[in-house]
Amino acid sequence: MASAAATGQGIAAPVRPAAHWLKWAIIGVIGLVNLYAVTLMYIQGETIFALVTLILVATGLYVFAAPGAYVHRYIFPGVATMFIFIVFPLAYTIWIAFTNYSATNILTFERARAYQLSQSFQIADQSFDFALYGAGTNTYRLALTAADGERFLSPPVELRVPGAGPQPPASTAAIEVDLLPATAPPAAEPLPIKDLVRLRGVLQEVRAHLPNHTDLRMSGLRQFSAIRPLYQVLPSAQGGDGLILVNQQTKERIAPDMRSGFYRALTPEGEFTGPGIAPGFSVFVGWKNFLRVLTDPGVQGPFLQIFGWTLTFSLLSVIFTLAIGMVLAALVQWESLAGRGLYRLLLILPYAVPAFISILVFRGLFNQNFGEINVLLSQLFGIKPAWFNDPTLARTMLLIVNTWLGYPYMMILCMGLLKAIPSDLYEAAAMDGSNFIRDFFSITVPLLMKPLTPLLIASFAFNFNNFVLVQLLTEGRPDIIGAQTPAGTTDLLVTYTYRIAFEGSGQDYGLASAIATLIFIMVGVLALINIKIMRVDRPT
Amino acid sequence: MAMVQAKSIIYRKLAAHAFLWAWLALIIFPLLMVIAISFRTGNFAVGDIIPSHPTLDHWRLALGMSIVDESGRTIPPPFPVLLWLWNSIKVASVSAVLIVALSTTCAYAFARLRFGGRSLLLKAMLVFQMFPAVLALVAYYALFSRISDYFPPLGLNTHPGLIFAYLGGIALHVWTIKGYFETIDKSLEESATLDGASPWQAFRLILLPLSVPILAVVFILAFITAITEYPVASILLQDESKLTLAVGSQYYLNPQEYKWGDFAAAAVLSGFPITLVFLLAQRWLVGGLTAGGVKG
Amino acid sequence: MADVKIEHLVKNYQPGVARDVLRDINLDIKEGDFVVFVGPSGCGKSTLLRAIAGLDDITSGDLFIGGRRMNEVPPVERGVGMVFQSYALYPHMTVRENLAFGLKIKKVDKQTARERVAQASAMLGLDPFLERKPKDLSGGQRQRVAIGRALVQHPAVFLLDEPLSNLDAALRVKTRIELARMHEERGSTTIYVTHDQVEAMTLATRIAVLSPLAEGAATNLEQFGPPLDLYHEPANRFVAGFIGSPKMNFLGGMIEAPDARRTRIKLDTGVSITAGVDTSRAHPGDQVEVGVRPEHTVLLDDPRADNRITGTVLVAEHLGAETFIYLDVGGKDFTVKVRPETPGTARSQFDIGVPTDACYLFDAQGQAFPRTERFTRT
Repeated sequence: MASAAATGQGIAAPVRPAAHWLKWAIIGVIGLVNLYAVTLMYIQGETIFALVTLILVATGLYVFAAPGAYVHRYIFPGVATMFIFIVFPLAYTIWIAFTNYSATNILTFERARAYQLSQSFQIADQSFDFALYGAGTNTYRLALTAADGERFLSPPVELRVPGAGPQPPASTAAIEVDLLPATAPPAAEPLPIKDLVRLRGVLQEVRAHLPNHTDLRMSGLRQFSAIRPLYQVLPSAQGGDGLILVNQQTKERIAPDMRSGFYRALTPEGEFTGPGIAPGFSVFVGWKNFLRVLTDPGVQGPFLQIFGWTLTFSLLSVIFTLAIGMVLAALVQWESLAGRGLYRLLLILPYAVPAFISILVFRGLFNQNFGEINVLLSQLFGIKPAWFNDPTLARTMLLIVNTWLGYPYMMILCMGLLKAIPSDLYEAAAMDGSNFIRDFFSITVPLLMKPLTPLLIASFAFNFNNFVLVQLLTEGRPDIIGAQTPAGTTDLLVTYTYRIAFEGSGQDYGLASAIATLIFIMVGVLALINIKIMRVDRPT
Repeated sequence: MAMVQAKSIIYRKLAAHAFLWAWLALIIFPLLMVIAISFRTGNFAVGDIIPSHPTLDHWRLALGMSIVDESGRTIPPPFPVLLWLWNSIKVASVSAVLIVALSTTCAYAFARLRFGGRSLLLKAMLVFQMFPAVLALVAYYALFSRISDYFPPLGLNTHPGLIFAYLGGIALHVWTIKGYFETIDKSLEESATLDGASPWQAFRLILLPLSVPILAVVFILAFITAITEYPVASILLQDESKLTLAVGSQYYLNPQEYKWGDFAAAAVLSGFPITLVFLLAQRWLVGGLTAGGVKG
Repeated sequence: MADVKIEHLVKNYQPGVARDVLRDINLDIKEGDFVVFVGPSGCGKSTLLRAIAGLDDITSGDLFIGGRRMNEVPPVERGVGMVFQSYALYPHMTVRENLAFGLKIKKVDKQTARERVAQASAMLGLDPFLERKPKDLSGGQRQRVAIGRALVQHPAVFLLDEPLSNLDAALRVKTRIELARMHEERGSTTIYVTHDQVEAMTLATRIAVLSPLAEGAATNLEQFGPPLDLYHEPANRFVAGFIGSPKMNFLGGMIEAPDARRTRIKLDTGVSITAGVDTSRAHPGDQVEVGVRPEHTVLLDDPRADNRITGTVLVAEHLGAETFIYLDVGGKDFTVKVRPETPGTARSQFDIGVPTDACYLFDAQGQAFPRTERFTRT
């Protein structure tokens, strides 16, 4: 009972002083590095991720530093990964369900604001002819000539074409270059246009500053132009609250609309007007996504239809695989049957072949024109069913393939459980004059059902979320007519969710997450029922 | 049952054999078909189960060799199947090793040590393992794009990132190993403690050597799970050279470019080793599957 | 070798939630003692042994081994060697590796380790099995390996947790004798847990009788003393009932007149008897229980048959060397051991004599009245 804990505490005590210092030094370094990272994330507006990192690192440090938490060292790595990859995505998905996070509203507000403030516009009448002169390996001088003949020359500046390796987008900062007045161009020949083309990418990052503080930027292969930021924060003296931005070109005022997740123009009275200005940012929208699922006819219709099919599919899959698996298990456990080992091996084969391969094999075999199944059917009966275009046939095909894939698992389970049925039950039944069919239905089935129940629930939940099958076999097709979102007649709720999130133009993560949250609730209820049946807390 | 049987048993046996063979024919037909197709000429040709003009072209392409068609054009392999297979094996073995390590230490604590929140964590694990990762793909993507920002080697489009993601699925394995640990006499470790072993030594020198069978089962299960995983890999991996087999294979049956024959060869080539591993290990796996499920 | 001292030890797995498993245990175990913890299952005897070993922590109180307070000392530093009920042999190691495991962990130099293993193996006759795995050994051999594994550690205190319970009856007697001989030779302090009072009586220099803690009891250590003291002077009804085989018979009754030497007691059956006990602390009319050991009864023709008790024969067992007759006395079971040739017909009347000095007497709380005489059978 408490022994291991007691001994555990006993062990943690003797630590050599040198090791002690080393331990605390390592803990300190890890702590500081992470504190830095967390601060960085927080500043960039990634509050949730900063918080998660902070919690994980703090718990980890505590568990590995505090002698009292010795036992938790064994579970921390596993529980932490489960937290990151199961609990956190779950919570984050639920969070997204309450936002308008989508392809159009993908940024955080801070990033959207930074984007607007980084926009600039070029002042057309202030252009300079541009030429580039070599000044050593990867070092160049920029020469600019104004329309009135005034010349400027930069000191040698390093321009390096980014390597092929990955380049974090955040690190491409502008290259600041100060220009000095010059009387004549450098003696050397300017670089040919092909070098300019080669260096174009990095030249576009150059911000050249004239002595009179005008900022210049590349506007053509041989031209630099003066630029100015497009938006500026409205100063508080003019009634600005730090949120309102002023378009320097049109003097229009814009402000973030926290309900739609876009910057929008303001009327002189301070009302929002006009469409949103891209890029949008994600904002909290409350129950809107859930209300769409439940009330919006374009979403609710397909949702209910898909939900119904998901239930039917899971239930039928469990029934078919169980029935076949149980009969086959009873057959191969029959001791007077010769060659049971070989049968067992061959019957397990569909389970042994990786599912992604066998599903794709079926996708080919069921192909309407070239598929071997239709070839066979047309030779025998002269029919060529449209397996992928007719909703009923597509659903039938899904069930056939899923039964093929799933019955060996049920057979394996039943074989294990059949061994536990004492043979004297059958002997007693034989004394009572029972035959093998009666045996099966009055002894085998009832005795198997009880231990099988939690496994059947788990199997139901698995098929409820059988993403790979549908995605690889039908991709949800044929489509449901009139759906607002991508939706198919063979879609399960999971593939439907996947399609809303990752396919089509909308990429509506918010709506997808709302449906995912609904599925979480259903699966959670199933899991709790299962635990209740298995009585997990029963002392072992 | 060595009971005295009625004469009718002969007919029942024959019926059982007939039924089993009929069923096996139905079940194994697709698998035999795909082997046959891999030797057929062309990608659409329809033919018999034993191809009349067998060709090794599809196999050459699957093995990464170019072929020359009738008109003299050189056709390069459509996809790097062997590279994908290697990617899959790499990701699956590393994640299986790490999963075994993580779930073993966890299971040890749950089976042998007493600590606050033990029973709650155990139950929570059972609940959470039923949630499919595919529902949280948006969150996964967001999570890994953040990791990409701060630590690219573990981020999007990397194998370490994918392996890292697979480590979340240890709950069931923890339960399986925990159940096995509980069948091992606790006095063994107590005796080791009295002999002067630290808890870590008792774990490593006594419990671990005795648990090799179940650890092998968990390794193979984790390996197979990882090698056949599709949704998370399809979201996290982007470059063709980085794909795993499960993600890459579906490109063969693209409606615009239907490569049925090439797919068949690639499927047999890559599916065979995995199937073989499973069949060789099935004796132990069957025990592991039922133990993990039935043990409560 | 060392002495073991336990002071006010309390063990509770969930303090504040569950009842104590052990309460206020005080034991002073001398160097070289062979102490047996005995009691029915659930009395905490194994827990007490595990607390001494350090496998269970102590809720309150103190534990000293060789004069050093051991409450927080990890098991390995307590200088104890333990034989587990299941033997706990490492299945993946040979006998030799099993014996040497502790020495290897403690980094004892190889030469010394080899000598110690050889010594223990020779002493226990394990030499032919050294390269075998535990699964290839018989129960008795496994048991000896378990003892050997504790021996090679040269423990100051030797702990054995029901070491004989997994052996068959014949081997159990043989091993019991071997254990007694080993203790005789080595003289090491030994603590031995068993639920079998015969093992306790035959092996122990002193016995500690434990009972499952009753509601409100001050302690569950019922008595601690040499075997014969417990047999003759049990401190209470629990010890009296637990020590001795077959069990002591109990009959309800009432004190007629308290006396410092011989007390008259009126039994519930209506008969009055005289018991050689000091009841000066009692009052007339106090409810008591009279205890009589089956082997202390005599036939009526014996001159020591001071009191007569009458019952109905339920069944008689003739074992050859002796005969047990099971009686029903006023609705209570009453066993008597008589001369082998005594007949006993079922359902017949049977009279038995009880010597005055063979009586034990317990008050309503189960505490024993001091006996003034000790019956010895000739």
